[in-house]
Amino acid sequence: MKFYVCIKQVPDVDAPIQIKDGELIQDTDRMVLNAYDASAVEEALVLKEEHGGEVEVVLVGPEKAQETIRKALAMGADKATHIATNGDTDYDSATYANILATFFSDKEYDVISCGKQSQDTDAGLAGSMLAEHLDLPYTTNAVGLEAEENTLVVKRQGDAGQEIIGLPTPCLVTCSNDMNEPRIPSLKGIMQSKRKPVESIDVGDLDIDESKLQPKTKVTGHMEKPEREPGQKFEGEAEELAQKVATLLDEEENVI
Amino acid sequence: MSTLLTHIAISDGKIKRSSLEVLSHMRQLAEANGHTAEAVIIDAEASNYVDEVKKYGPSTIYTVEDPIFENHMNTPLLKALSKVMDEADPYIVGFGSTESTKDILGALAANQDAAVLSDVSEFELTDAGIKAKRPVMAAKILSDNIAEGDTILVSVRSGSYDLDEADAEANIVDIDFSIDDSDVQATLREIIGASGDKIDLAEAETIVAAGRGAKDEEGQDLINELAAVLNAGIGASRALTEAGIMDPSLQIGQTGKVVSPQLYIAVGISGAIQHVAGMTNSKVIVAINKDPDAPIFDIADYGIVGDLYKVLPPFIEELKKIKG
Repeated sequence: MKFYVCIKQVPDVDAPIQIKDGELIQDTDRMVLNAYDASAVEEALVLKEEHGGEVEVVLVGPEKAQETIRKALAMGADKATHIATNGDTDYDSATYANILATFFSDKEYDVISCGKQSQDTDAGLAGSMLAEHLDLPYTTNAVGLEAEENTLVVKRQGDAGQEIIGLPTPCLVTCSNDMNEPRIPSLKGIMQSKRKPVESIDVGDLDIDESKLQPKTKVTGHMEKPEREPGQKFEGEAEELAQKVATLLDEEENVI
Repeated sequence: MSTLLTHIAISDGKIKRSSLEVLSHMRQLAEANGHTAEAVIIDAEASNYVDEVKKYGPSTIYTVEDPIFENHMNTPLLKALSKVMDEADPYIVGFGSTESTKDILGALAANQDAAVLSDVSEFELTDAGIKAKRPVMAAKILSDNIAEGDTILVSVRSGSYDLDEADAEANIVDIDFSIDDSDVQATLREIIGASGDKIDLAEAETIVAAGRGAKDEEGQDLINELAAVLNAGIGASRALTEAGIMDPSLQIGQTGKVVSPQLYIAVGISGAIQHVAGMTNSKVIVAINKDPDAPIFDIADYGIVGDLYKVLPPFIEELKKIKG
């Protein structure tokens, strides 16, 4: 199976966050492979190990994102394409999807996969946008993948339970990070990654209509979320505390 | 005058409350700005839900009824929504942010060449479109966003707006719909663990959530009993779903469900940032944990420092007395 996994470099959400004049200051030393994309890479590698084939990662991003490509290669991806952008770009989900759709228009593959969302914006839109542009059968929020002859079998988390969906290939799937524990690259994997092929394309070299690079949505500012104030913390005899809190919930909060 | 259209989501034979919250807000925006509020119901038995939707005052309700909508499949839903949008020509289309919505929102925006903002916590109209706040970076901060264009899609987190009834006569428009089997390439083979009579966490008024501290059988029994007394939905932290003790569909957090109940009781949950991202919008948070330094206490309105096996039995008894 030929897998393409779309990956993204994102800030580490566990790092301290600073906001200055409404702007999010990102610690560029703590940029990481999007956790949901890491699960998509892991799942593609597992399926390749079971059924053979090739895993190629594709990343749209600035020069610095090369380190994230190397991480995916060190995990075991065979090769990579870097669609290089100017670091100041203001892309939204739709522009990413337009760029990727143009890239994939002349490619052959069985499965395109990606994380179900980016851990920084949590938008969760680009995957199904890309599927629509490429007119591919797709499903989102996969929590398990299996391959059959010409079919990808996806377990997805839906509103009414888990749905088992059969997708004829070629198809697209977006992955939850509930589905696996992405492998940590071994030293050997890291050494090998340095010799793996990375093709670099400038976004300007893709045959893409300039209007499709104009985002329809923009982030105009950031603000600290009003923090929840710590409330009352009770210590002491369990029975007494249980009674006190139950009464507060009933009489003060009216939520019982 | 433009049309503000709200998609009414149905799951397990019930209207998703979050859809009605969005309809309530969209109707208020329509009234304040001289627009028209309309709604669309797409379901195997769409007409069954018209009376309930009417109570929230849309001037027109579109229904698309076909057996194919009995279970969620993205292709038929996309085709139906595209058809309704061609008919209604809406300026804004609002959705409750359910899993089914997340499955189609990007594709619909691409199909309709619409601007789209997902999972917003609030939005309002501007001269050129909408502006909205979205929790980002694991819900640690809020971003301000604008979306501009002739058509804008927006999905809204549950609990963001209150229900607001405004009974009015609604014009009912049935939309003819058919789909060729050949158009639906994906096949739904099975649904596992359909929620049945379980309470949907995204919609629940009260949630009892269990963490690592409640992982044995006795702990689970206490969680079940507490939830039963409060008629609450049961959720879990990632530790419990990963250990296979609770179903992954019950996981609350950045990865799992985002919830906003009136009362959230976190039992034996330490309060990792990813978990907090999914429940921080709860109205009242109660935390029970034996570690007095657990980060969950930083966001809890009421914290009980203690062993859940000692705290829960008298807590359940007291709640029984109050409810009784």
